Amino acid sequence: MNGLLVSLRKNLALWIIMGVLLALLIMAIRGMPTKDWVITLLRSFSAGAVIFLVASGFSLIFGLLDVLNLAHGTLFMIGAYLGWTVFVRPDTFVDLLPLGALLGSGFMLGPVWESLSLASRLPERLRRILPWMGLAAAVAILLYVLPHYPITAWDLDRYDASPVTYAYLADQGLFVPPEPEKFEGMAPALGLATVVFASLLATLSLTSLTQPILAAEVRPKMRWQPLAAFAAIVAVGLLIFAFNDALTNFLLGLNTTWLFFIAMLVASLTGFGLGALMESTLIRPLYSRPIYQLMLTLGLSAMGIELVRAVWGRPEFTMPKPALFSGSGDGCPATTLAGWLEHQCSTLLILDGRVRVYNEIFIPLVGILVLLAVWILLKRSRLGMIIRAGVQDRQMVEALGINVKRVFTLVFGLGVGLAALGGVLAGPSTGLGSAMGDTVLLNALIALAIGGLTSYPGAAIGSLMVGLLQQFIIKYGAIGIPIPFTDIVFKPTPPLVPASTVLLMVIILLVMPNGLLGKKE
Amino acid sequence: MSNLLEIQDIHTFIGQYHILQGVSVEVPAGTITALLGRNGAGKTTTLKSVLGLTPPRQGRVVFNGRDLRGLRSYEIAALGIGFVPEHRAIFRALSVEENLKIAERRKGDLQKRQEMIFSLFPDLERLIRLSGGNLSGGQQQMLAVARALVPENHLLLIDEPTEGLAPVIIESMMKAILHLSADTTVVLVEQNFLVASQLAEHYVIIEEGMSVKQGKMADLVNDPDTIRRYLGAA
Amino acid sequence: MAEISSSRSLWERLPQPLRSNSGVLTTFVLLALLPFVIALFEGKPPSAVWANQAGTSKFVQGLAIEIFILAVYAISYDLIFGITGLLSFGHAMFFGASAYLTGVMLKSFGWNLWTTLGLVIVLGGVNALLFAIVLPRVKGITFALVTLGMAAVFHIVVQSRELGAYTGSDVGLQGVIVPDFISPASQRLRFYFVALLLMYLVYLLYRRFVSSPTGRVCIAIRENEGRALMLGYNTFYFKLAALTISSITAALAGFLHTLYQPIVTPNVAGLGYTISALLIVLIGGVGTLNGALIGAAVFRLLDFGLRRYLGESASFVSGVVYVAIVLFVPYGIVGTWYLKRLQIRQGWTRLVERFRHSSEA
Repeated sequence: MNGLLVSLRKNLALWIIMGVLLALLIMAIRGMPTKDWVITLLRSFSAGAVIFLVASGFSLIFGLLDVLNLAHGTLFMIGAYLGWTVFVRPDTFVDLLPLGALLGSGFMLGPVWESLSLASRLPERLRRILPWMGLAAAVAILLYVLPHYPITAWDLDRYDASPVTYAYLADQGLFVPPEPEKFEGMAPALGLATVVFASLLATLSLTSLTQPILAAEVRPKMRWQPLAAFAAIVAVGLLIFAFNDALTNFLLGLNTTWLFFIAMLVASLTGFGLGALMESTLIRPLYSRPIYQLMLTLGLSAMGIELVRAVWGRPEFTMPKPALFSGSGDGCPATTLAGWLEHQCSTLLILDGRVRVYNEIFIPLVGILVLLAVWILLKRSRLGMIIRAGVQDRQMVEALGINVKRVFTLVFGLGVGLAALGGVLAGPSTGLGSAMGDTVLLNALIALAIGGLTSYPGAAIGSLMVGLLQQFIIKYGAIGIPIPFTDIVFKPTPPLVPASTVLLMVIILLVMPNGLLGKKE
Repeated sequence: MSNLLEIQDIHTFIGQYHILQGVSVEVPAGTITALLGRNGAGKTTTLKSVLGLTPPRQGRVVFNGRDLRGLRSYEIAALGIGFVPEHRAIFRALSVEENLKIAERRKGDLQKRQEMIFSLFPDLERLIRLSGGNLSGGQQQMLAVARALVPENHLLLIDEPTEGLAPVIIESMMKAILHLSADTTVVLVEQNFLVASQLAEHYVIIEEGMSVKQGKMADLVNDPDTIRRYLGAA
Repeated sequence: MAEISSSRSLWERLPQPLRSNSGVLTTFVLLALLPFVIALFEGKPPSAVWANQAGTSKFVQGLAIEIFILAVYAISYDLIFGITGLLSFGHAMFFGASAYLTGVMLKSFGWNLWTTLGLVIVLGGVNALLFAIVLPRVKGITFALVTLGMAAVFHIVVQSRELGAYTGSDVGLQGVIVPDFISPASQRLRFYFVALLLMYLVYLLYRRFVSSPTGRVCIAIRENEGRALMLGYNTFYFKLAALTISSITAALAGFLHTLYQPIVTPNVAGLGYTISALLIVLIGGVGTLNGALIGAAVFRLLDFGLRRYLGESASFVSGVVYVAIVLFVPYGIVGTWYLKRLQIRQGWTRLVERFRHSSEA
């Protein structure tokens, strides 16, 4: 009891704000019929979960690395588009897999490159120029080879083969994969070998670019593990290339629920890889010039958006829901969970209100699962311990003999992976468009400012608040708020949705400059 | 007796400021060496240069016969150098146990030395579940020293261990440092000359980024002129 | 040889202020001559420029006016961000509010130009106060987020349907009647000189400000606010001063923007417009002042050129350019120039020497 009083006095502002917000929420709830507010609450959780996936990664990165990753929204979007590709066009995905494996194979040799570039006794000027030449050569090789590389994909110029059409066909279950492409004007073996060569060249150049120029007498030991990993990943790539058709048919025959989980996994892993790559090559040289990180991530964001537009086209399109959440035949809408599972309905009746199972139950569920998983990672694992310590004092962590740089790369990858997962998750409920990234990034920033920029529970609470506020205002935009003692019914207009969250943020920051759960500096 | 650590004429820059302009220190194995000097003379930077936290641009540091040039901080630390930074830089968000555990270099390090650590700092065992931020200043300093004892270290770099502590705690801190110097070499930065003179066998005076004088502590104690000249007070 | 020595003595006879500002003067003269030079290249007499005839010269003047306005806006951001060290994400509000106010006053209320200008300056002060109110509470990135919030609310308000009669909602404000004597269509050359003069005046004033005692304190705040406080400066007032100067400058830029552009879109109040200012300052070099001017030219010309030759994929290339600038011009154009001045000059001399040797051989 005494402890409670002390904590009450210590965090008076926090409790008052929470009280006021709770009172507002109760008032908002009491203005609606039960079924309306239950559904609105569920929708808020759904919106909050997507925001949380972006916000939590952003906050992890900002907390440990001090990097404001303004490309985070774009990476969320890229995750969505990748997930869509796996889900709607498994044949394209299988075509891309060996390419990705072969391109990534060089990274496995990172430690080998490091010792090579250390051991080289080239004059300094050559050391500066050679990596760039290597990189340029790798890009040139890829630019020559890739047009020959067989990828069966959509065609932006033909409407009947555009992503919009494929999304529709997949939704109707009418998708038939087009005839697979073959290597054109190039022997497959030569093509694959060139890709591996380009990857080796590019990663060697990248390593020697980011490597500080060190004393020549230091020579790290060579190990065999990188070589084994390299061999393994090349072998996997070649195997997939050889058994392309079998794998495609297997994926096409799969229940789309499983396919959706594969899509989530692939997008998160790719996001992880992209993030790790971004940190280790582009962000790392900028730790001494933090302001320029903003410019870098802005530039990358612009590039990412254009890239998505170039590959998937400008028109927005939908992503079908997995089979588990798309039934509409007999027994739908289901009235009980068991009934839903049996008929795999897209909607469920709760208090006579229709609830979309995917949007309003599945998304919040995944959000909660991720929340718990990352929470356990942070609180229970050694990596989590290092992250929490590193947020406070990076130098000291390094002085304990821990390779903080590798932890940085891991955390950046993890953050981006979470965002990409959020993208896939949001795809079936909101559709895909090249503006989706910016919107979600702004919401995530607001959520983080409310909850505390580097606080993990703060990210969760902030996201939930943004979700609640938005959904309740949207709902009241439809039913209107009767203003007491008058006959006026106030209907919030759509622009009020972003305005309200921004206002909430400004008010909370003025009362508590570090956010609700942020630590005082 | 051979030297465990040799700092040979290092020059360190922080940004564009030339902080260390030629520091040389020899640390014989199994002894306590005190770095003395006024505020801002470069004592802390010397410790950080050894660890590669502020890598020297010139000169070299040799530890256990190995040139540390080009190694990254974590690699240097992993060779067996423990660091106790000034201002009790423990991790406030971590519990006492986690603060110790994070210093493990091999699984079970803490298990192995737990007994020794808790016999030196009995308070810590009692507070093991508390978060670092809730400890008192003295307890935090003990934790910072204890953390450096968790892995197997051959050399401890201790920066101002008694700064701002109550006399009673200073005494127990001194006892602890003397105790652990039995099997570890220690480099100590200490403003309090009385404390330093009781603990250390060797001294190095650093003045304006240069090491100006080194020798046996016993000689320095009997040399009030030098003390007055470089350290201000007698 | 004789010529050089005589010109040198002439040079030395110039008063000190002129000599130390030779770069500023030269560029000013060059920019003032630019419309006429282009007309000559086009094969038209300077009188054609004087008469504001359509042609390349008029078109280039238009592009240059846009750059000048952008430069004034960007330099105002450099003052609070680069000099004083306040990271604001709401700078577009300073610009956008004034742009809209100018348009509404001229169009819907029929005010004359000069009273509107007065009101715009007052608005600049009010905006600065609005940002300054929160200063004692929030620092660093939180200040950035709060200003982002305030600007976002303004951005939304400007687009709201309720104000559509005045602001044109999300389409933008159009149909502002600009007095004939400054009309960008019929008096383009005059407008060109007004914008050019404004840019140079602002630049010189800012340079004066930065070297003044007040400006020095602003720099001290950027370097270490705690120390400035300990030295006995009430840093709030200095930050307020910087904000006010910056806000009024941005308001002047917004004022000219409305006069020049046929339509004022809500974009000028959006986050994207603040980010433009940030990018310009980063391209030019943070805290260098003239970097903001050079950055504005690079930014606008890059955008113009890329859109013209690449069309839709322009933003991809500009993204690549930004990343390349971060990697290869590490402190912005002017910042890197200051840092590497010696090396660049040495390299240039060596190149000239080599060239001379080879030509002699």
